[in-house]
Amino acid sequence: MVQYPAMKYLHTRITEVTYPARDHALLRFAAAGEDIPAVPGEFVMIRGNWGCHPVLPRAFSLVESGAHGAVLVKAIGPGTQLLESMQLDDELVVFGALGKGYRIDDSGLRPVLVAGGVGVAPLLFLARELTARGQRPLFLYGARTEDDLPLADEIAEVAELIITTEDGSVGEQGLITAPLQRALRDGTDSIVYTCGPDGMLKAVAGVSQSHSTPCQVALEAPMACGMGTCKGCAVPVPDGSFKYVCYDGPVFDAEVIYGCADE
Amino acid sequence: MAALMSERLRTSLGPLTLANPFVNASGTYGYGIEYASFVDVARLGGVSVKGISLQPRPGNSPPRTCETSAGMLNSIGLANIGIDVFLAETLPQLRELGVTVIVNTFATSIEDFVALAARFDKETGIAALELNISCPNVHAGGMHFGVSGAAAAEVTGAVRAVTDLPLMVKLSPEAGDIGEVARGVESAGADVISMINTIRGMVIDVDRRRPMLGQKMGGMSGPAIKPLGVRMVYEVFQQVSIPIIGMGGIASLRDALEYLMAGASAVQVGTANYSEPGISLRLADELEAWCSERDLTVSDLVGCAQGD
Repeated sequence: MVQYPAMKYLHTRITEVTYPARDHALLRFAAAGEDIPAVPGEFVMIRGNWGCHPVLPRAFSLVESGAHGAVLVKAIGPGTQLLESMQLDDELVVFGALGKGYRIDDSGLRPVLVAGGVGVAPLLFLARELTARGQRPLFLYGARTEDDLPLADEIAEVAELIITTEDGSVGEQGLITAPLQRALRDGTDSIVYTCGPDGMLKAVAGVSQSHSTPCQVALEAPMACGMGTCKGCAVPVPDGSFKYVCYDGPVFDAEVIYGCADE
Repeated sequence: MAALMSERLRTSLGPLTLANPFVNASGTYGYGIEYASFVDVARLGGVSVKGISLQPRPGNSPPRTCETSAGMLNSIGLANIGIDVFLAETLPQLRELGVTVIVNTFATSIEDFVALAARFDKETGIAALELNISCPNVHAGGMHFGVSGAAAAEVTGAVRAVTDLPLMVKLSPEAGDIGEVARGVESAGADVISMINTIRGMVIDVDRRRPMLGQKMGGMSGPAIKPLGVRMVYEVFQQVSIPIIGMGGIASLRDALEYLMAGASAVQVGTANYSEPGISLRLADELEAWCSERDLTVSDLVGCAQGD
């Protein structure tokens, strides 16, 4: 039988709202007595009590789980704008945790985390988890400008942080693949965990593959149900079939999505 | 409480009796088993499973969904596991869970519809068959059965000949005259009509200057289409004597009441399952309370908005 043993279905309320960057809100919500069990990379579907438009909930990677869940919202369209404007004590319908998260390596590889935009959310969760396990992650965080770097301070507490911005307003000027190239060239056996825009993911997967470094990518796709029933979040993969972001992923080995260059 | 609920909310649709009028609509609730760990799926009036075809189908190229004003488009393309896996793996789990199973089934030819129905007929644990003759998302077939009374009657009659299961036919709002299609399937032996399926729509991605969906068009669902569904149920109720299951945009008790009062004996909830996977049970409880306050049963409501 298909099992979702860790699944919670909550009618809950926002317990804390902070604004870690322009147009971003970090929403925390109570797990209503029972912990939300999740590994980094898993996600929840969230919707506010706002009537019939927009109809669908939104998928967000968890930034934390346990007695509280938290998600990072960037206001882009109607749904995320409504969520970003929510206030303390507003009602939320939340279900999750869903999908398959990062498979954490414990064989001694150096963890290199590569984030772009709101892709930082599951990777902060992962960085904290790695630190709790005694690993010391290298965290590469790319953005357009200094205004697009939510949660950088929190990352710096648990990882060695390197920032790149396209306009050079903070950190190194350029793309995140530059420090990734350097890191993977230094001879330390590594594993790459990444989340961000599609173009960045593909580039990060390419750099990783060129250094024979394993790479796990977390994808995003429009989805209605979040749990494998609507079949909306199909992604075509090189073997000609589809993968479903919500239950085959959202975290995949990079070669499953992008193929192997040397084949 | 349970006994009271079963009395007030019980609804009869010819040979099919449902404990309450809330069925989850095909394509919006998987096979039902996915929700079993956190929704009491046996308490639902029924689950109409994701449409089953003879062969598994991978579905359409993405993007497959996008949102619209108070609704959404989908062009999934009837991705499904196929009848072999459904019968071997899924149906036994549904039986074990005690789910009232409505098997939605889909084919592009009458022969395939008949082959599917003949196999389902041999199984236990199926409360009804629902023929999808109205999917807008599959090329070469499907919907052409649903837009003409003669074609709809032909496929219904062919299936009727090979099964004694309660037979439900799901109608398309794209029929020029949905009443004609409804009369056609009734005359060919359908026990129940379910209506409406989605209606084709389009969203343009103005940045790319191209349609948003991979298949350009998709079936529109959600609250935006509710007045269309209610109007069609109201009209069809006047033209057939078999019962109707109404759907299209139900997201609240009031929405469900509208469909019942228009003439539906039960309803299906679709898109709203995405925003709240337990919504049908919540609405069943709300309907129970609403009826109890007024000392009414569901059957008192069916079609009560008809007449002058």
